[in-house]
Amino acid sequence: MQRLLILLAIILMLSSCKQDDSYVQEQPVYRTGDNMLWAKTKANDNGWQNDRGDTGDKIFWVRSKIQLFRSPGGPLGLQIHAFGAFDVYWDGVFLGSNGHLPEPEIPGKGVPGKEVPGTESSIFLIPDSLSQPGNHQLALRSSQSYEQVIQRGVSVRVENYISLLRTPLIIMSLMNVMAGAFLIASLYYFFLYANSQQKEYTILIFAVICLLFLTLLIMEYIKFYIDIPYTHFFTRMEIIGWLTFSISFLVPLYFSIQFNFRYKALLTGIILLLLLFIYIYNHGHYDLSAILYSLVMWVSAMAVVINAIIQKEKGSTIVFVGLVLSAVANNFLYYDFGLFISFTLIVLCMLYLHTLRVKIIEQEHKSSLLLSSRLKLELIKKNIQPHFLRNTLTSLIDWVEESPQQGVEFIQALAAEFDIMNEIADAELIPIHQEITLCKTHLSVMQFRKEISYEWEDAGIDEKECIPPAILHTLVENGITHSIPTADKKIYFRLSFELTSNCKIYMFETIAENRPLSENRKGGNGFQYIKARLTESYGDRWDFNSTAVPQGWLTTIKLYNK
Amino acid sequence: MRVLIIEDEGRIAKRLERMTRTFFEENLTAINCCDSLQKGLIFLEQHPIDLLLLDLNLNGENGFDVLESVVAGSFHTIIVSAYTDKAIYAFSYGVLDFVPKPFDEHRLDLAFKRITATVKKHEHQMKVLAVKKAGELHLIDISEVIYIKGAGIYSELHLKNGKLELHDKSLEMLQQLLPESFERIHKSFIIPLDQAEKIMVRPGSKYNLLLKNGELLPIGRARYKDLKKRML
Repeated sequence: MQRLLILLAIILMLSSCKQDDSYVQEQPVYRTGDNMLWAKTKANDNGWQNDRGDTGDKIFWVRSKIQLFRSPGGPLGLQIHAFGAFDVYWDGVFLGSNGHLPEPEIPGKGVPGKEVPGTESSIFLIPDSLSQPGNHQLALRSSQSYEQVIQRGVSVRVENYISLLRTPLIIMSLMNVMAGAFLIASLYYFFLYANSQQKEYTILIFAVICLLFLTLLIMEYIKFYIDIPYTHFFTRMEIIGWLTFSISFLVPLYFSIQFNFRYKALLTGIILLLLLFIYIYNHGHYDLSAILYSLVMWVSAMAVVINAIIQKEKGSTIVFVGLVLSAVANNFLYYDFGLFISFTLIVLCMLYLHTLRVKIIEQEHKSSLLLSSRLKLELIKKNIQPHFLRNTLTSLIDWVEESPQQGVEFIQALAAEFDIMNEIADAELIPIHQEITLCKTHLSVMQFRKEISYEWEDAGIDEKECIPPAILHTLVENGITHSIPTADKKIYFRLSFELTSNCKIYMFETIAENRPLSENRKGGNGFQYIKARLTESYGDRWDFNSTAVPQGWLTTIKLYNK
Repeated sequence: MRVLIIEDEGRIAKRLERMTRTFFEENLTAINCCDSLQKGLIFLEQHPIDLLLLDLNLNGENGFDVLESVVAGSFHTIIVSAYTDKAIYAFSYGVLDFVPKPFDEHRLDLAFKRITATVKKHEHQMKVLAVKKAGELHLIDISEVIYIKGAGIYSELHLKNGKLELHDKSLEMLQQLLPESFERIHKSFIIPLDQAEKIMVRPGSKYNLLLKNGELLPIGRARYKDLKKRML
């Protein structure tokens, strides 16, 4: 944040440098034709035109008076923004060339040399002798053989030569810092997406936004270190336009996913249509298009964020503040910087949201670990909770006192149940046959306690299948608790297994009369345990249904493959 | 003695029944077992009993919800439960005893003895009196009581707010449940000691107790000494 503030301050300073009043450039005048005398200061340019007109691939001259108010305090530099190829004359003195002018066609000399296009921006050093305050005459011997229809004016900057060269470097250094940050962020989030098990689209979108933004920065400032022929000047603008287009589309999409915006599809549709409309309607007006794109992005992101604030989403207020700041930055700064600063602020907001999201994921992970250990504990508790243990011991005392032989059998059944419970206590999934054995031993313990005959049947069991521990056991417990035995003092439990193309189905029946449910029964802990176990092992790929049926109670557990 | 056992564990119900029969022998006129709370409550509506043996967790239902209604009845209640941590709570409602599972014959007999003999009172004390009034249950804090007057098979609770409530238990039964701070001063009266102002002697060596609210209650001749000692 501090770095950002410094950057803001520097850029504010840079933008204030723009208002340079050390010189005045008069409206340039044009004339098609070629005469070296037109380079001279005193050449008469009365009657020259105010625009280039149709020059075709012919040579034309441009003249413009420049009035210098003070000495530059060092070597004077001249920066020219113009299309075409040209030789530059300052007070009649040749300063240099930008590109190569076409060679005139001389009969008998073969094919004439074609124009070699210059760059849109070029810088020349003015001799000290011609750098004094006062009037100076700029003359360009030019051609514009390509992009002939484009009427682009000739504008100049006249200031200290060193600062002309250095200013782009300073800007670049700042922009490269930003670009580097986005490169790292982009790589990091791409790797994060590639290596995370839960494929979160927001991560991917964020990585793409960072990459696009990095590319945008590079494309914007590539002009400072690569000579782009004016013929490709618009190629770069087109690329920048599409990058801005994509970012303007993705940023609101990102916020709408991150903030659980309800009408995502509608929003993205509208944004896409608006952006396309802007592209088509303003084609060729690159700066205007980019401003409009970012306006669409800002407005739609703002809508999503305000909605998020109403929905009380985490981090929405911070993002709101960030968006307001970005609007302020955009309003007060020179277009290029403003856009980048506002983009940077938005990306910072997104980064902040990401850390929030990571925090939530961490918490989810912690709570899942907590759940696992809680479930383990619950499993262990099944056999040591007072209701089970003390009732069992009471019955056991009675058996030992009344019929020691069967008392011993009871103890062995109890020991067997404890053994299995001990074996499965740490497991998340256990073989189905182990679960069935657990149920059977539990039934034999309960048989001693309740003096009811419990009959177990199973059908179609696949020995290789696994199941979370003690979930059938819980169903057996419920069956024992909530059933009235049949006339012959019996309760039947029946487990069946079925494999279909997309799921495994366990059906568990308790065949007996159901006890009437009292109104204020506090129960359901068993079902909670089962559901928590199923979630632990199968996520949301399961179905649990337990209901009364005419012959007793039926529970169906479906485990889906995918 | 008519006994009802509410217990869902078949083996334990049998054990309770067997030990009850052994203890009361020929005094036992009726003994019944119910394996659910609903059945037990229905039985209670239709049959008068003298003693209830109640398990507090039956078929996954919480027996504490019905504790208020059973302690308001005319019979004594002994809780037989695995939830030993609930003992203090049960005593505060005025159960005769709380027998934790697993139990042996000796422990159950001790509980039974509280019905017939004056056994040393429990350290956990009754805190509220549950009263049935027009089919609804009311809980009265025992500190609200000025004195209790026996009225045949019922007892009249005279309260600080001037109201009079009827309790289904006899004065003898209440005496067994009430804490040490209550004293039987007469065959028809129990008072909380903190309500006694002073003993008044009347001609013919008859004694009266002046209560703090100005009411005079008779003191039984045999109980005068005990009361005097306790009031000092």
